[in-house]
Amino acid sequence: MDWLFFFEITLAGLGTGGLYALTAIAFVLIYKATRVINLAIGEMLMVGAYLFFGAAVGWALPWWLAIILALLGGGALGMVLERGVIRPLLGENPISVFMVTIGLGSILIGMVELIWTANPRSLPNFFPTDPIFIGEAFLAPKTFWSFVVAAVVIAVFLLLFRFWRGGVALRATASDQGAAYSMGINVPAVYSLAWGLAGVIAAGAGILLGSIGGISSDMGLFGLTVLVVVIVGGLDSVLGALLAGLLIGWMESMAGVYLGGEYEHLVTFILLMVVLLFRPWGLFGTREIERL
Amino acid sequence: MLVSKLARQLMAPVAAIALALGGAFPTAWADNDEIVLGGSIPMTGPFAFAGLQFDRGLRDYVEWINRQGGIEGRTLRYVGEDTGYQQDQSVAVFRRITSRENVNFYFGDSTAFQQTINRELDRRDILMTGASFASELNDPERYPLQFLLGPDYSEQVGILLSYIAEESPGARVAFIHSDTEFGRDPIAPGRSKAEELGLTVAATIVTPPGAADISSAALELRRARPDYAIFHGYVLAPIPDFIQRARQMGMNTRFMGTYYTMDQGIINEMGEAADGFMGVMPYRYYYDETGPAPIMDAIRELHGDYQTTTYTQGWLTGVLITEIARETLRAGKPFTGSNLRETLDSLSDIDTGGIFGQPVNFRGNSIPLGRIYRADVSQGQMVPVSDWIELE
Repeated sequence: MDWLFFFEITLAGLGTGGLYALTAIAFVLIYKATRVINLAIGEMLMVGAYLFFGAAVGWALPWWLAIILALLGGGALGMVLERGVIRPLLGENPISVFMVTIGLGSILIGMVELIWTANPRSLPNFFPTDPIFIGEAFLAPKTFWSFVVAAVVIAVFLLLFRFWRGGVALRATASDQGAAYSMGINVPAVYSLAWGLAGVIAAGAGILLGSIGGISSDMGLFGLTVLVVVIVGGLDSVLGALLAGLLIGWMESMAGVYLGGEYEHLVTFILLMVVLLFRPWGLFGTREIERL
Repeated sequence: MLVSKLARQLMAPVAAIALALGGAFPTAWADNDEIVLGGSIPMTGPFAFAGLQFDRGLRDYVEWINRQGGIEGRTLRYVGEDTGYQQDQSVAVFRRITSRENVNFYFGDSTAFQQTINRELDRRDILMTGASFASELNDPERYPLQFLLGPDYSEQVGILLSYIAEESPGARVAFIHSDTEFGRDPIAPGRSKAEELGLTVAATIVTPPGAADISSAALELRRARPDYAIFHGYVLAPIPDFIQRARQMGMNTRFMGTYYTMDQGIINEMGEAADGFMGVMPYRYYYDETGPAPIMDAIRELHGDYQTTTYTQGWLTGVLITEIARETLRAGKPFTGSNLRETLDSLSDIDTGGIFGQPVNFRGNSIPLGRIYRADVSQGQMVPVSDWIELE
């Protein structure tokens, strides 16, 4: 056993896992606050990456300004989707809302292809390019820096949930909508806030992901693995999303090297099946089951 | 009530006439002075970058050849519709066009479609070519009415390997491919060919379709330490990422690609990472002005700016079907798919007007000829690094 190689693969897997965890948090945020299973999260991520591309390459803005614009754009998209599409469906059968989010995904892909065509693109590189060594183990700078950024963003959001008034309102709404209403919390505003924040996080994850592997209109497929992450972690658990993200990133990396790339997704979905069979509410989720 | 009865009475003869006309229409319209090329073209969807260029290339060629007097006095007409790169749409478009028109040639947009429609081709006696270079289609027994517009994927890899064996005998080669039918296509034949040429296959690395992060695959590549790595089954991602990581890890591996990765636009997207990237290209690039190439001159005359290789592929389709149609007409044979195929088999040293660098010959359903080009970022162009290589 080559332990150095094993360690390198572990680091690489955790790097990918950081991005899964980040996107999963956007998913959990929406689910916790609004009980909507948003299957368009991958496409929201893709739109964020394209907004960055449009600002940085199309308008030739400096990368930091392009990132700010893309994050704001992602947030605005989340809020518009909530206000325009999701809120009118409040009280409808969850399966209807679920189906609407699938449709939303298609519409977002169509919009992106109309504006930017379906051609694959590369994002301008804004990460330092010097190789990173942890001991003797090599870590690609993009993977390292995107992991660092994802970790910082996740930490900031966790602090916001804990201490910020909006975050507290969000948690209150998530645990009991009726009680939150009666305490004077503006629940519709909390819904908007949840979708807006999720949009910002998704856009951020999209920029990170796009800067690693390039962007294309089908990069929303990433959302499929994120769905597995949140189901494994527990749909409404931020901690679950974090740990399951890292776990699945690591497992895919291991499977890819020791079994072959064709087994990466197989391993992920086997884990999904096992969790659904023995612990359908996920590793850390609330123990209630809603059948769709 | 009265109105509807009246309407029915009035409509009946009109409908009868329409039916009679409708029945007569296809044969009346199937003008004997016309040769029709139908096409299921992916003008939207993930393959639109190539589909739009096929469409432009085909249109421009048809206009050009008709200006030259057509094919033995007959007009060539192109009827193409968008498929969105969806197989069911490609089939629907095929049915629509072939039921409306008297189609002689057809352009297909994908391996899956070209496999699916094969029986229908036999039934309708149409000769087909298209976007696919799948090795499976290069079988005249199973696909008698199809031909490829260059070397199939296995032959493309074969050309790359021949070049490697010539440049660095005994070199270590890695294959990196996507876990798709497209990606797997040339891998097994490529491995045998490498061994046959005395090369060592250092690794075969598979990436899942749509893989976002290839960190672990890049580490696997480093462990294999190949002299050359051949990508297949990708258009752009994750090739730039692999190359950047390899450079950061201090590797000297030389990276190579097959036809659909080798277009100038895609190379431009890679930026600095593209420098030194090599690959096999069956057609001359727009700016390659070495040697006489009247068809390339015609393209350059028509468009002052760079035209993609997929655009040239549209022209090549036109050039080849013109040659096949012309010889069939000269031989006085009826214009059926099987006769067109017979003509194709009888052709030798076909002049493609310089699209290929030398006269070409079909072997089976393909033309196993190509040249190795290298990306030179300072010139912003792909420069030839080998002569034209023809596989036996």
